[in-house]
Amino acid sequence: MSRQRAMRDTEYNPLVYFIDGLVTLFNGMVVTWRNLWRPKITVRYPYQRRPVPPRYRGLFYLKWNEEKQRLNCVGCTLCAQACPTDVISMVKLGKGTHAGVSEFTMDLGRCMFCNLCVEACPFDAIYMGPNYELASERRDVSLFRIADLAQGGEEAVRKNIETIERLLAEEEKAKPAHAAHAAGGQSE
Amino acid sequence: MVINVGPQHPSTHGVLRLILTLDGEQILACEPVIGYLHRGLEKMMERRPYRHNIPFTDRLDYLAALSNNLAICQCIERLGGVEVPERAQYIRVLLMELQRIASHLVFLGTFGTDLGATTMFLYAFREREMVLDLLEECTGARLTYNWVRVGGVPDDLPEGFGQKVLDFVKLFRQRIEEYDMLLTRNRIFRSRTQGIGVIPKETALAYGCSGPVARASGIPYDIRKVAPYEVYNRVEFDVPVFEDGDVWARYLVRMEELRQSLRIIEQVLRDMPDGPVQTKLPKIFKPPAGIAYSRVESPRGELSFMMVSDGGANPVRVHIRAPSFVNLSVLPRLLEGAKVADLVAILGSIDVVLGEIDR
Repeated sequence: MSRQRAMRDTEYNPLVYFIDGLVTLFNGMVVTWRNLWRPKITVRYPYQRRPVPPRYRGLFYLKWNEEKQRLNCVGCTLCAQACPTDVISMVKLGKGTHAGVSEFTMDLGRCMFCNLCVEACPFDAIYMGPNYELASERRDVSLFRIADLAQGGEEAVRKNIETIERLLAEEEKAKPAHAAHAAGGQSE
Repeated sequence: MVINVGPQHPSTHGVLRLILTLDGEQILACEPVIGYLHRGLEKMMERRPYRHNIPFTDRLDYLAALSNNLAICQCIERLGGVEVPERAQYIRVLLMELQRIASHLVFLGTFGTDLGATTMFLYAFREREMVLDLLEECTGARLTYNWVRVGGVPDDLPEGFGQKVLDFVKLFRQRIEEYDMLLTRNRIFRSRTQGIGVIPKETALAYGCSGPVARASGIPYDIRKVAPYEVYNRVEFDVPVFEDGDVWARYLVRMEELRQSLRIIEQVLRDMPDGPVQTKLPKIFKPPAGIAYSRVESPRGELSFMMVSDGGANPVRVHIRAPSFVNLSVLPRLLEGAKVADLVAILGSIDVVLGEIDR
């Protein structure tokens, strides 16, 4: 640890202080002059925007899986459990391997944008995007439903439910046959 | 005459109210009134699982959110006996020092404005913006970072981050020289800060001051040296200590700390090993029953967390020792007999953050 006495001025001497004041003025002007020739750093916000880094934590989105034609979310509520402020609520659609969500609501009025839900998700379903302009004058606007959050909006939600219901129906169709077969096998 | 300064006043840096009893220009007594920003964070934390509490600490000292994140995570790690990978420790130290620079730049800017040097505010915030851009690239947020987790950090540094930080360090060294030209060598600034608001060593000790306030009063006390955490024992840096205890000394301590932070950042980037950044922990984290205490040198002083566990998922008791709160307690003593014109300089030099005081 370095121990030192602060640089200290001598007693008041008008002449010394006057000269010192002139030096101060000169120094200030030197700094101002240097800064005059530096590039402008001001961003005229509504007209110009800064680029947002990839990790930026803005408005959430639910990832759309093009291959499977559905949202990645399976409705496991791990994100809701990881949330310190109870932002997330969801309605699960079906169960088992083809489970999904039919409704996914986030009350962003309570959200801290803390990233804990994103880290908790084991299915890469929820992410934070670059949109940061979420301020509003009305309270109900802070409630984001599944169509606002899903990548692809209404269309994606409709397709998501369609795909999951189709898969569930197929599974349902396959199941009784299989069960009957098993039951039949047992009775014989 | 009795007058109020605050709760809404630009130079109280938040919602702090000072009831001043004046005799002409002399301050006879000062009574700080706090609590306008009280949110009951300690109680809130007792109602939530351990790891849910990390984002709340962002709202304590909002100018140095990462220091708060680190303090609570260290406390939980001690409670649960969690090991932190080496790379994560280096990343933590790197982010802490960037955070210290950002926080001290706010001090510089607002302190300059308090004393009438508005230019300083613009220049300091310009450089702070560079630090915030770096932190934003790494953590994804600009103020409430929440980027320390129990057992490490959530993610590795982004691609090319080290080079960007080194570029900033190089640029910032030159900019500090400019700050020196503008403020340190400024006749008016020196006259307004030297010999004002002197905290003698005994008073600083008696009130439990820490951080730059204590170090400006001749107490060589820095948690990074006294009880090194993370990898602070592996980096080389000096702790500036001044004997005078006035506003000027507190300013000089912070200026010197900016330089030392740059030194630490360079060493950390040089020595940083490869490896994992987070330890795997169970989904529901239940530390064994016990009590843990951790302390961290935040830009404002000794920040510490105490947590009591009964083996359940939530802490039973959380206590936060906020450096600003303790440092502010010396203010009434300081202002006795001071001039009203010096009030702003003295209050600014203690550098309080109200989010931390009221909790």
